[in-house]
Amino acid sequence: MASVARRETPLGHEDERELVELARGGDRDAAGTLLERHELLLFRTCRRLLPQGEDLEGAVQETMLRALRSLAGFTGEGNFAGWLAAIAVNLCRDKLRRRRLVPFLPLETPDEDDPDPLDFLPSSEPSPDRVAMAREAVAAMRCEVARLPRRQREVFALRFFTGLDLEGIAGALSVEIGTVKTHLHRAVHRVRAAVEEAKP
Amino acid sequence: MTIRHLRDDELDLALTGETLPAEVAEHLASCLVCRRRRDGFVAAVNGARGADPDDATRRRVREGALSAWGGTSRRRHWARWVAAAAAVVVLSLVPLLRSHTVTPKLNTDAVLVEVDAVLAQDPLSAVAPEDVVNTIVPAPVEAGEGS
Repeated sequence: MASVARRETPLGHEDERELVELARGGDRDAAGTLLERHELLLFRTCRRLLPQGEDLEGAVQETMLRALRSLAGFTGEGNFAGWLAAIAVNLCRDKLRRRRLVPFLPLETPDEDDPDPLDFLPSSEPSPDRVAMAREAVAAMRCEVARLPRRQREVFALRFFTGLDLEGIAGALSVEIGTVKTHLHRAVHRVRAAVEEAKP
Repeated sequence: MTIRHLRDDELDLALTGETLPAEVAEHLASCLVCRRRRDGFVAAVNGARGADPDDATRRRVREGALSAWGGTSRRRHWARWVAAAAAVVVLSLVPLLRSHTVTPKLNTDAVLVEVDAVLAQDPLSAVAPEDVVNTIVPAPVEAGEGS
């Protein structure tokens, strides 16, 4: 799976470092370019780590603001997308902790603007059975992801819903890549089994 | 000949994007059953991911963050330079304008003479009313009075 950061960073790390430097100096245009480049990552991260009904746009905006205000803390050595994702993850954790909410992904009430799961199936003949199976698979995935232990859920969401690579996830969660792999394998094992069970 | 499909752990490796052993990768590429398992998972991921926000929403959120942060636009940089140049011009003109204005001359000698005259009469009356002066410095008692 191609990472969001790679897809949206055609100019590479050097260019990004330059943008960060400019933004540190207060250059609004450079800051805007950086945000624009990574905003989908932030939307996807917050969307999957916050419960449905939470102010998603507010969370993303707050993440962006936190990032801009702490640009001095970015050393430039790591993955900028991972650094941004770390801010988003911490903000989501703060929000959940403050509200003492158990995070969940919508099971039976998908967002209105969600694409139909059938759009992603290879065949173009959506029989009623296939429709039902695809929806059940998506529901099973959301449900199982919501049941994962926190760290596994974060790793899974960052990998599959935001498209962050392993290095970026390690940076975002401040753990070793080996730890990311371990959590990812455990999460994938559980979620895949649930999805396959939902569509025998 | 029996076909060995991917075990669960091998499929998990494929899903996480790890490098598969050559024979496993080869089998996955050619086996419809195994590919369907993999593609089913990927389809569920894409369905569960949900739709991305539209451009207008993204722009609004981004601009909100930028406004709250501050920063300086390059266009604003130019505006600031122009404003600074205008301020320099105005400030440099101020002395010229002042030189043309007529300020009334203060006759300091006359004022000093007047102040000296008042102080010579009674230094305290220059700075305090008479009743205060009398309280602080009572009038001398004449001889024989009150004895």
